[in-house]
Amino acid sequence: MRSRRPVIAALLTAATIVAAAALGATALQGRGSQGAGDAPPAGSGRADLTEPPFGANALAPPAKPAFKVATPRPLHLSGGVSMWAPVTHPALARARPRAHARLLARVSTRTPEGTTNILLALGVHRDPRHRLWVRVRLPILPNNTTGWVRRAALGGYRFVHTRLVVGLKSLEATLYRGRRPLFRAPVGVGAEGTATPAGRFYIRDRLTRYASPFYGPIAFGTSARSPVLTDWPAGGYIGIHGTNQPELIPGRISHGCIRLRNDDIRRLAALMPVGTPVTIEQGR
Amino acid sequence: MKEQAPILSELDPGGSLRESLRQTLGVRRAELLIGALTGVAAWSAGRPGGAAGAGLTANDVRILQFDLQLEYLQAMMYTQALRLGHLRPPVREAARVVGAHEWAHARALKQLLGSRAVRPGYFDYHGVTEDERAFLRTAVAFEDLTAALLKYQAVRLDSRTVLAAAISLHSVEARHAAWLRRVAGALPTLKAFDRPASQASMRDLIVSTHFVAKNPTTGARRAPGFTG
Repeated sequence: MRSRRPVIAALLTAATIVAAAALGATALQGRGSQGAGDAPPAGSGRADLTEPPFGANALAPPAKPAFKVATPRPLHLSGGVSMWAPVTHPALARARPRAHARLLARVSTRTPEGTTNILLALGVHRDPRHRLWVRVRLPILPNNTTGWVRRAALGGYRFVHTRLVVGLKSLEATLYRGRRPLFRAPVGVGAEGTATPAGRFYIRDRLTRYASPFYGPIAFGTSARSPVLTDWPAGGYIGIHGTNQPELIPGRISHGCIRLRNDDIRRLAALMPVGTPVTIEQGR
Repeated sequence: MKEQAPILSELDPGGSLRESLRQTLGVRRAELLIGALTGVAAWSAGRPGGAAGAGLTANDVRILQFDLQLEYLQAMMYTQALRLGHLRPPVREAARVVGAHEWAHARALKQLLGSRAVRPGYFDYHGVTEDERAFLRTAVAFEDLTAALLKYQAVRLDSRTVLAAAISLHSVEARHAAWLRRVAGALPTLKAFDRPASQASMRDLIVSTHFVAKNPTTGARRAPGFTG
């Protein structure tokens, strides 16, 4: 029995040393971790945003954005922009923006070609009953007539930046974007007795892939109407189209339509959207 | 300063409310008309491969296509309101800057999507762009909702790089909302926390406004009847 006592004492001493060492290590670890970078102990109230726990080393590397938004371009709202709107409901065009003003025309939703009827918008007015009216160029006789239709009869506005000028004297058509000419070509216009009407109009629609060489490959419908061919089956509208007689261009050869050589009408079609205002000038 | 709370419900200038629309066939038609936002997007997103938008998952493409069409819808509204000229200086200035931002967003999204980018729709704002008050309310609603929508989408994006880009839009949209709210005489923000708005709720709202319209048919394949 005597021989076992020193062994037990030695074991107890060793256990005490190990326990003390473990406690010491834990205490050191706790202190060290607080200084080294882990989150502060909950409820300590000592979170410091300038200290490493919140630093970049604790975060994953950033993802590179899939796109970057470039510097916004200022919206160009200068002149040279025209707007049109489709007729979505049959409407009455009046001389003034009032419900009982003189009736000028009934405006349908379709053109004789079966396309959506569009109107070139020139201004907007709110009447005393807070109803919106839009001043529009009308595709009726006499040419150059403008009138007012209720905003509710029209669809959303579309904008165009081009305008076409046709000179009845120079026999030339020029398409502009702003002041810059984009296209110029010789034209054939109305012969004596069926002269092309002068005035301000717009492109109403665009017809393609038809089997009629007389009109060339593409034809644009305009809001202009022949003042003499009033009994023409489709209403006597003036078109801008190609031809199967290019040798007659330039010249006064048509029933009022504006004819271009087929290559020219193709080029024009690539540049001129529907809704483009058209000015036909007598003295140009 | 007075807060105008239910701006969302005031979006439709014609007074058509979402609930009543849901009960009519008109909603179905309108749903069809915004194919650019849904059907086309889903079809396009489902296409495999493609150089443009390479590396984007179908889910991310769908989200980005929706956002692109939404940017077009907003950008065109600002442009149209400015061109029609019914805005007074403080509103005009905000519309000019915010509109330019929306176009910049649209260009960035279009570039990212490449051939999968949706084309701009045809929009009819039903007089909103001709009335400053209606315009401002609609603009506030759109900016508020866009910020809320991006919040919803952010946690659903697959790609971290797209997420990194999307959050750069999110904060700008939130600032737009605050600016326009201020111009409208409302508090820039009321809540300490914002809720996300789902893509479906945004689509429902757009349908209820009837802003996305059927494109007019201005071309035909038939022989002309012009005077010749």
